[in-house]
Amino acid sequence: MPELIELEQQLNRLGAQLDWPATPNLASAIRLRIGARPRWWFENRWAMAAAAAILVVAALVAYPPSRAAIADWIDVHTRFKIVPHLSTPTPLPPGPLGRRLGLGQQTTLAQVRSTLKWQVLVPASLGQPDEVYLQPPPDAPSDGEVTLVYASRQGIPAAGETGVGVLITEARGSINSEFFGKMLGPGTTIEPVNIEGGSGYWIAGAPHAFVFVDRAGEVRYETLRLATNTLLVNKGGTVIRIEGNLTKAQALEMAASLA
Amino acid sequence: MAGRPTDDAELFSRAQRGEAAAYEEIVQRYQQVAFRTAYVITGSAAEAEDAAQDGFVKAYRALASFRPGAEPRPWLLRIVANEARNRVRSSGRRHQLELRLAERFRPGGAAPSPEAAAVAAEDSRRLLSLVNELSDEDRLVIASRYLLELSGEETAAALGIPEGTVKSRLFRALARLRSRVEETAGA
Repeated sequence: MPELIELEQQLNRLGAQLDWPATPNLASAIRLRIGARPRWWFENRWAMAAAAAILVVAALVAYPPSRAAIADWIDVHTRFKIVPHLSTPTPLPPGPLGRRLGLGQQTTLAQVRSTLKWQVLVPASLGQPDEVYLQPPPDAPSDGEVTLVYASRQGIPAAGETGVGVLITEARGSINSEFFGKMLGPGTTIEPVNIEGGSGYWIAGAPHAFVFVDRAGEVRYETLRLATNTLLVNKGGTVIRIEGNLTKAQALEMAASLA
Repeated sequence: MAGRPTDDAELFSRAQRGEAAAYEEIVQRYQQVAFRTAYVITGSAAEAEDAAQDGFVKAYRALASFRPGAEPRPWLLRIVANEARNRVRSSGRRHQLELRLAERFRPGGAAPSPEAAAVAAEDSRRLLSLVNELSDEDRLVIASRYLLELSGEETAAALGIPEGTVKSRLFRALARLRSRVEETAGA
């Protein structure tokens, strides 16, 4: 079609003649922003060290015989008199476990099941989640993203200082192994695994991010919240990720019991 | 290879190792195409600046996903365009994109006569106004592929659609534009 080719050439020439708005210099703004990457407080080693130090001092202070010795040592007698009783602080503030993980709005399983058009799967092996969150778009794909939070329990230690045992996040879409295969950092391994009624990948190590393609065909970059071993599952048009300090067998058992 | 600008592969591998200066150079290198792509999507220079900035920050955090030796443009454009589309979606409206001709452009060809230049300028103006009148979807694919001169892969990344869909969408958009060109030429 010669007319079309000519039109294409005219359009190419037109591109060179356009008055585009001036391109801003983004480098300096970006330098500031990447220098100050927001981190979860437990990711920050100084915050962790400070929390540990407070815990140690508080524990010692709570123990009367050591109180005077420490008071002499760090010379804070007055302060001890003003605050006679110190409860032992915990690194985990009270409140919902998932609150600081940026998972969206807290809700209930019944609520998400009645509002979402797609089926949210729950692993029968873990039972009912302790907390449920719904992340609406634009921070999640248009069909939303649901996270089930399970507290640590016997056999499943808490991840870092989060108090969270297992996080299960679900969104409509599919995994593109070509994309996330590129994302593996050193010390992280990926292995395809068989999941009944679907497919999956076991990522061992500490992956921090992963990529999937949502139902609108958009590639979404998501931060893995716990940076622990992760099982990714493609099942019935839903991408499910299971994060936690889990063994492969534990994660596969959870995946097999998803219903 | 002294004297040659640092190649993308080296810049990316340095940035992946956490060298912020290398990433700044990547930003400098690709900010124009990223900003203009975001501008074509949002129709607003301010929104495009925010989208490009957020996109580059996200890309920095996703650097581990960049495969050594891959083409950086589609990878970056996909992330920046995604930001731009999210902005359009969350604000609920797209600004009307109005592309304009530069005041003192010179039509291609060697030293055309003033008359020929005037005719060419008029042709460009007419074609541009027809592009501006296209539907958002048609204008976006034509602007990405021809005005920004993105490759097929980059256009797919910018539009968030498969490359095969770019071809069919482009074909239909060009056909519609051509029929508008014919209508107005006959008028």
